[in-house]
Amino acid sequence: MRFINEQGGVDIAGTRYQLELRLFDDASDPSRAVTLIQRLIDDNVDFFLGSFGSNIVLPTAAITERAEKPMVQAGGGSDQIFTQGNRYVFGMFPRATRQFQSTVAFFKTLNPQPNTFSVIATNDAFSKTFAAGIVKDMQAGGFQLIENYLLPEHISDASSVLASVRAKTPDMLLCAMHDQNSLLIARQMIATGTHVGLLFQGLGPQLASYREALGRHASGIFYSIYWDPRTTWNDPFFESAGKFAAYYARHNTRPIAYHVAAGAACIVTYVKAMQAAGSIDPVKVRDALAATDLETLYGRIRFTAEGDGDAVAMGPSVGQVLKGAGEVVYPAGGRTAELLWPVPAWDKKN
Amino acid sequence: MLALQTILDGLVLGGLYALAAVGFSLIFGVLGVVNLSHGAIVMIGAYLTWFAWHTTGLDPLLCIPPVMVVMFCAGYLYQRGLIQLAVDRSSLLASMLVTFGVALMLRNLLVLVFSPDFKSISAGWAFSFVRLGGGVTIDLVRISALGASLALLGALAYVLNHTRIGRVIRATAQQELAARLCGVNARHVYAVTFGVSAAFAGASGAILGIVLPFSPPDEANWTLNAFVVVVLGGVGSPSGALLGGLLLGLISTATSQLIGPAFPNAMMFLILVLMLMLMVRPAGLLGNAFAGSR
Repeated sequence: MRFINEQGGVDIAGTRYQLELRLFDDASDPSRAVTLIQRLIDDNVDFFLGSFGSNIVLPTAAITERAEKPMVQAGGGSDQIFTQGNRYVFGMFPRATRQFQSTVAFFKTLNPQPNTFSVIATNDAFSKTFAAGIVKDMQAGGFQLIENYLLPEHISDASSVLASVRAKTPDMLLCAMHDQNSLLIARQMIATGTHVGLLFQGLGPQLASYREALGRHASGIFYSIYWDPRTTWNDPFFESAGKFAAYYARHNTRPIAYHVAAGAACIVTYVKAMQAAGSIDPVKVRDALAATDLETLYGRIRFTAEGDGDAVAMGPSVGQVLKGAGEVVYPAGGRTAELLWPVPAWDKKN
Repeated sequence: MLALQTILDGLVLGGLYALAAVGFSLIFGVLGVVNLSHGAIVMIGAYLTWFAWHTTGLDPLLCIPPVMVVMFCAGYLYQRGLIQLAVDRSSLLASMLVTFGVALMLRNLLVLVFSPDFKSISAGWAFSFVRLGGGVTIDLVRISALGASLALLGALAYVLNHTRIGRVIRATAQQELAARLCGVNARHVYAVTFGVSAAFAGASGAILGIVLPFSPPDEANWTLNAFVVVVLGGVGSPSGALLGGLLLGLISTATSQLIGPAFPNAMMFLILVLMLMLMVRPAGLLGNAFAGSR
């Protein structure tokens, strides 16, 4: 938004506009988020970005929906956000149960071929639905489920689950949870010698802090890549993902993460929809958003009729941590490094 | 063997819970204050340790003593400067509100200073483990955490039971007026107690940081855990906190193993409710006391 304003703002139907961002801290508390969103509606704010986490996006989207104000968000992927008939809510990710199809396709290309899998999920809206999608897609892909573990939303110990994993070791262990929990599971796996042939953690390895915490042990862990600054998409404002990342680095000290790119893409999408609608009327912009099909720094943006990201256009690639960095290993066309397979045991990694 | 693994895991987790709760228990027992900023103080200990480890490369366990000293001073000033004022001007209930407000401020301060991203402390020995045979495995981090917790709890018990300041703290907790008549400066004792509590909360934060990734919102969980441990183990004593903590750890891992990994929190809450019922209405909500006990 700062970049767009530095360029003199945006032209919508012949009028030049500067963008204004009103940022509030909901402290990851759904009830506080609901109060804040209602206050913004009362203040006649017309366009919303979402908060982080489906547990917050869900109740806040209900309020913006009732007020007929669009919300383009990159924080919630739970199916419930997109299956309750909401017309004004759009997501930068496919719904959770559709996010794993490309990863199953990748697993089927592996040689030697893994056959069995277990799933560990935490008890929150996104992770539970993501795990349900994993089980459905993996079984449809011919893989055999050993165990499906559900942990509380906030984990302080996973030793009993890992003891069970050691007793009934699957070829693949697939984790559906948020970053902090993923790190805890990985750390405890290493520190208890719990080795599986393939460890996949949907969220976590994307972050430099996760990879630094595990050091050499992170090597070979698979994860979903929602965005990579090396992609070659054209963006109407930044030109490319790389230039966006460079602009971000000039103004911030925190390492860039996919959340940042997805958030920026929400704003790009909004502006292009306003220009396509030739208006800043929320209802007209909503219709333009529904018809969006454009390239941005984040990738191709195209929504389903229910508002979530198109599973093919906006589905994740598969990444693997290699030499401390995140690399794209699938699809083959976007590969940035050679796949490490089979993955060595924890104590053999270097 | 699975049962042995569950018990071992439960004891290790319980040691963590106990150390994190002992400060809360001490303040509750001596000052009568329910310190709702306890979890935030635990988190500050974790962040201070992370900062010392990150900037100097010092082993995180060696960071514990300086962290305890800093936290003791901060706790002393916090009690004298804020909590005592709230108690003097209003009531113990007001102090609860004050600590709640401080918890919110500290949480946001941590976000401001350290960012909302999670942090973790990976000591050089963080990923080592010991196989005890029969598939039973225990990691060095958790063994160290349990060892450090037991050592610190033992030290606190020694101070409370065998030193002059410990006797003064206990005397003030039992009968403030009598202690004053004997020449004890009760305000100073309260502040020292709060300082000791903050030092132990800081130490537990350091140990938690070695074991778990952490972020500012975690403070609420550690206040809640401390509350459950204190209800289970009783207030004001390290041995009560140790017993409550170990019990909670065992309940947590046994529930996870026997009922399901999603249920430890539910079971902890159930136990808490049962204990509260036993304390408040031992005869049940609508029942009469058993005739033999009247």
